[in-house]
Amino acid sequence: MRRLSLAAGASLAVFTLAAPLFLERGTLNDVWSLAFAVILASAWNILGGFAGQVSLGYSAFLGIGAYTTVLLSLKGMDPFLSLPIGALLAALFSLVIGLPAFRLRGPYFTIATIGVGEAVRVCASSVSFTGGSSGLRMPAGSFDFTRNYEAMVVLAILTVAVAALVKRSAFGQALAAIKQDIDAAEALGVNSTRFKLGAHALSAAVVALAGSLYAINFQYIAPGSVFDFRLSLSIVLMPIVGGVGTIAGPVLGALVFSTLQVKLLSIPALRDSYLFIYGALLIVVMLFEPKGILGLLRRVFTRRLRRFYADA
Amino acid sequence: MHDIAGVLVNSVISAALYATMAYGLAVIYGVMRIINLAHAGLMMLGAYATFSLFTRFGLDPFLSLLVVGPLFFLFGVVLYRLVVSRLPRSGATPSMESLLLLFGVWLVLQNLAYFIWTGDTQSILTAYTMKSVAVLGVRVGVPSLFVFAGSVLSLVFLNVVLKATYLGKAIRAVTQNRDAALLAGVDADSISAVAFGLGTAFAGVAGGMLSTLYAFTPDFGRSFLLKAFCIIVLGGMESVTGVAAGALVLAFLENGLSAWTTLPTSFQDAVSFTLLFVTLVAFPQGLPGLFARLRTAFR
Repeated sequence: MRRLSLAAGASLAVFTLAAPLFLERGTLNDVWSLAFAVILASAWNILGGFAGQVSLGYSAFLGIGAYTTVLLSLKGMDPFLSLPIGALLAALFSLVIGLPAFRLRGPYFTIATIGVGEAVRVCASSVSFTGGSSGLRMPAGSFDFTRNYEAMVVLAILTVAVAALVKRSAFGQALAAIKQDIDAAEALGVNSTRFKLGAHALSAAVVALAGSLYAINFQYIAPGSVFDFRLSLSIVLMPIVGGVGTIAGPVLGALVFSTLQVKLLSIPALRDSYLFIYGALLIVVMLFEPKGILGLLRRVFTRRLRRFYADA
Repeated sequence: MHDIAGVLVNSVISAALYATMAYGLAVIYGVMRIINLAHAGLMMLGAYATFSLFTRFGLDPFLSLLVVGPLFFLFGVVLYRLVVSRLPRSGATPSMESLLLLFGVWLVLQNLAYFIWTGDTQSILTAYTMKSVAVLGVRVGVPSLFVFAGSVLSLVFLNVVLKATYLGKAIRAVTQNRDAALLAGVDADSISAVAFGLGTAFAGVAGGMLSTLYAFTPDFGRSFLLKAFCIIVLGGMESVTGVAAGALVLAFLENGLSAWTTLPTSFQDAVSFTLLFVTLVAFPQGLPGLFARLRTAFR
């Protein structure tokens, strides 16, 4: 089973990477958005899903990656070389935020992260080197869609792979222990702060990488786009709706969201109110299936199997 | 505005409004141990309800609060019965599920508003919007004074309900100890529904009053939600006088910083985030906890 899914994943990866040769630009754009969504959802899931620390401030890291890339490119650096610098800065910032914020538990942590996200957005639109609220434009000639597309797809595959590795490692076990019962984990010798900081830094770095690629693709960023609260909440909703704390769940959530997004944004009446559907989805998930779409699929699937065996 | 009287007068006026926002959150937190993220959406809806009453029927925004309050109370009770009561109950600390569920409610409300009223910025202009009078030698806008009066009246109303009626006693009993209240024969579920209704009504009234002071969009309310959180965290989550003190501290800091420093006004919203963060981390028990700690330290 595992070997089969690995083979299927590998052939899918090869197909997506070779896609620019035979697919048209519109479809490639959709795949790009899907890869972007997969990265954000899977990266958030490392801290929010595995360790149960729900953060609503992830647009901060996306923005740090995007702004680092644009600012360094304006200084003459190759945009793709700036990626690791943005990731490093985001990881450092996640430590600065995490050190005080991880003293808070559960919902209090979540509220503090709303504050962090808002504060970063306010700062980015008020200081001068970020171009204020009018934003920044990438230098001309830095656009190369195929390169950006390949980078995004590779990053998406790597993110899912890293998430799977983390989940199975001792690190992942520690995060799971923290999620279940932080006091019990501490009593067993898990240094919860250190593990939470590690998971935060890892996911922040990955989200910043995606943010850099976002800036290169759209060529223009502003606090209203990369530090948008709606972005932070989409990042949270995808893994929760898909199936929080699993590997396939965030991917599934990203798939649902990016398909919905394209469909909903094409209806003019829903242009501003498409998040309504997400809110409704979130309510339904929290009330009826806290394990998300993945949990629902599993339930249906096992019921089918059970009926099948009962009949046989 | 640079003198101490100006800052004090303005602080007291904003503090009354802040306290009204925060009480709605505090009542719900106290009774159900739920952090109501939908509070922001409810404030926004209150603003739009007032706006609609004003544009459709020409009802004065402050008179319409008498309609908005009861309407939102009913809405809150329905919301509790339909959605919130289906959740497993929070223990001593609020559960993540309730937070996310109400977050979903917030999203639904917000985007419903986008659908009905579009994303255009709206504001309410009455005959007295631009008028101002002198209070203790400080020019204060007439709407601000009405907001102050409205806030004080709603706070007095809440206090009378909590102190003098059976309902209020039951609410306080459930807040103190849910199990003990159940043992004493209090129908905790009905009390929760009423408390959720009260909290919603306060959000609606606060939103209605905010609409006379600020322009608003369906995205309105988030920074006020953070202010309200900041206040109930400062006030120690459950205490009535604590919330008032927290509101005063926040309002004084905001007004003082904008009057005495060169901090740009766009940073004013950041004051509450910073204060919230510092409070949660440095003294999570809020002001009462801080005072208790200081008392033991200097004994």
